[in-house]
Amino acid sequence: MVEFKHAQLGNGLDVIAEMNSAAQTTAIGFMVKTGSRDETPEVAGVSHFLEHMMFKGTARRSSADVNREFDAMGARNNAFTSSEVTCYWAHVLPEFLPQSLDLLADMMRPSLRPEDFDMEKKVILEEIALYLDKPTHVLYEAVMADYFGPHALGKSVLGTHESISALSQPQMRQYFDARYGPGNMVLAVAGKIDFAQLMDLAEKACGHWTHLDVQRRYEQPIAAPRRRHITDPKLKRHYIAMMCPGPTAQDDNRYGAQVLADVIGDHDGSRMYWALVDPGLADEVDFSFYPHDHAGSFFVYASCDPARREQVEAIVLTELKKVTADIATHEIHRSKTKIATSSVLGGELPLGRMRNMIARWIYNNEYKTLEEDLARLQAIDQAEVSGVLRQYNFEPMTITTLGPPVD
Amino acid sequence: MSLSVDQTMQAVHSLSNGLTLVMERVPNVRSAAVCVLTPAGCMSDPADALGSSGVLADWLMRGAGDRDNRHLTEYLDSLGVQRTCAAETTFMRLSASMLSEQLPTVLPVLADIVQRPRLPDDGFAPAVDLSIQQLDAIEDEPSQKLSLLLRRQHLPEPWGRDVVGRREHLKALTADKLRADYHRRFVPQGAIISIAGNIEFSTAADWVDKAFGAWKSGAPGDSPAKCEGPQRGVLHHQQQSNQVQIGLAWDSVPENSPQSIMAKTARGILSGGMGARLFSEIREKQGLCYSVHVGYQAFKELGCFIGYAGTAPDRAQRTLDSFLVELRRLHQGVASDELQRCQIGMKSSLIMQGESSAARAGAIAFDYHHYGRPRTLDELRRQIEGVNLDGLNVWLAQTSFEPATVVTIGPQPLEVSLQR
Repeated sequence: MVEFKHAQLGNGLDVIAEMNSAAQTTAIGFMVKTGSRDETPEVAGVSHFLEHMMFKGTARRSSADVNREFDAMGARNNAFTSSEVTCYWAHVLPEFLPQSLDLLADMMRPSLRPEDFDMEKKVILEEIALYLDKPTHVLYEAVMADYFGPHALGKSVLGTHESISALSQPQMRQYFDARYGPGNMVLAVAGKIDFAQLMDLAEKACGHWTHLDVQRRYEQPIAAPRRRHITDPKLKRHYIAMMCPGPTAQDDNRYGAQVLADVIGDHDGSRMYWALVDPGLADEVDFSFYPHDHAGSFFVYASCDPARREQVEAIVLTELKKVTADIATHEIHRSKTKIATSSVLGGELPLGRMRNMIARWIYNNEYKTLEEDLARLQAIDQAEVSGVLRQYNFEPMTITTLGPPVD
Repeated sequence: MSLSVDQTMQAVHSLSNGLTLVMERVPNVRSAAVCVLTPAGCMSDPADALGSSGVLADWLMRGAGDRDNRHLTEYLDSLGVQRTCAAETTFMRLSASMLSEQLPTVLPVLADIVQRPRLPDDGFAPAVDLSIQQLDAIEDEPSQKLSLLLRRQHLPEPWGRDVVGRREHLKALTADKLRADYHRRFVPQGAIISIAGNIEFSTAADWVDKAFGAWKSGAPGDSPAKCEGPQRGVLHHQQQSNQVQIGLAWDSVPENSPQSIMAKTARGILSGGMGARLFSEIREKQGLCYSVHVGYQAFKELGCFIGYAGTAPDRAQRTLDSFLVELRRLHQGVASDELQRCQIGMKSSLIMQGESSAARAGAIAFDYHHYGRPRTLDELRRQIEGVNLDGLNVWLAQTSFEPATVVTIGPQPLEVSLQR
């Protein structure tokens, strides 16, 4: 039996819980509505660096204590930063809910000690170097920058070697103070939970946080046809990324867009798959829908032999043109089944439910049961998907490629 | 045919053609997961056709039974089946997850893929092409290349092989040759099918009998002979990259050794959680790298530890030296609270695995391969708890953690002094 509850602390922190008495484990997370899009250029990469620093200790705990306590609970835990959110989570056995909440909540009020800042800066620079050796990541950051241009979503999440090297601890403290207000965060718990106990724990651990008004600046991205090739002579493969406008995370068209993206570009059985992977022209191709906060896009990724780059790119564009004319009911039906099954399978794990629920709350301030989501999915028909296609016809398209020199 | 129910939660059923069915009931889930292991991994690649198992994994999915390539894919999609078919070292693994009510419909389709693949002529060239593209893709990712070089350098043939194989072998492969090879490799003897989910054992066993009972027996494949001759030692591969890739390998016990639990515990001490030694000493205290870890890779015949770190060229030497210090420090043993944290982490992972039917289907299939029976989560928990501080410390004092193989990728070789 699954039950949802929501309450708000006096300081504005939302606490949401999906209680499932049959679950064997509990997943708990804090999500903060902040990411690289909320950074000024002089602190590029601070959201992600701060995420690392949140593990470095508090007034009550050293960095080693934080790690040791997670280990002592047998927790699976981690954190991630995107352009829009930063999330800290732990997956634990139900008896560790009080301890894990106490630890995570304490981490949300970090010491940010200068000596830890200097040490962790080295780790961040290593992480930046690690991703520079991954062509898919280099291309992703480049196409985001090309597509969004001066818009805040075009910024790199990791920042650069230069921006991180120049960042100071007081700048990070200032960013933290401005963004980590309880009203800009949500605490979500899924799995085996007693809600009254959860609220007592949350009040004790987070009730004293000071209320703070936090705003995000929204600007409309200006899409335009753009094209750039980034040359890296040591690469053996040619990597292609394309971006064009799509529905936002708040737009009701997002449901139809998700089905459309599956029809066009799921890794198996989609139109792009049959046109490119099945005949062996590209080893990977993906068409996805990226619903951002009040901005949205469609995204294409493909990799191929450099000699086939023109052919592959032409096929991608032809397929996008074709689908606007002839999308069929049976394709939509198949994609709906795939998405439904994957939601049910993902929803069996408390961690999957927690992550779905917490992001939904941050982006849309709403909760939906798995069954409600499935019912909405089932209601999607050809008219709805065609409506999305009419509104978003994959233009204008930004194309960014990476690989050995092209003529 | 015999249906032997070990416990209410697990069952093993042997088909007369040699195929074994292993099942586990996972309460409170709507999903069912199936895993079919066929002894057709890259270990069984002919010596002049390395990489052919990878090609076969792709080709197998291009139509089976009454359905051609497109119909097979569309049919599985219409049933909402998430599936992968991939060659591994020992086995070819066909995995499928679905809502449990689809199980009786999906099992015959999986049986078609295994027993009656169409292996169409027009699908052969693309399958080979995609495998060759994989080889190029690995060249573009130094960390993947490292793991491939390290295995080749450290493990004896055929365990050191990789699924991607050799370019010249792939180019020389023909459809007829691979078809003949399919018939040699795809036999029910030594194959295992596992199902995990909220299932009723005797019903599921009937479905499997019906779908897989007619799979014809063939001559069982030879068990691989362990060849001498992995090169080991130190290998440096010159390549311009932002980070130096460091890989270390040393021998350990096979999976079915009574001491494999010691090896798994030692891995947890080194690299289990964020408080484990490598993360804490090399990343947290010295800030030398972002990624540093050790894995224990074990087969039925042999096992090894594989260590990894990636770091900037000017800090690579210090990273390698610190890594070796941590490995050598294991001889001095561990403290009681350290062991306790490690064991809690291992037990907690088990419970989390128990919530996933896909994870359980894979685990019980490999249990059967290694131990001749599935092991329950409870048994695994007791095994973890069975390691006590004195026993572990004696084992650590007597066991070598000295790498026999060090592979690096980067602009400069490192100085490596290994103790023999």
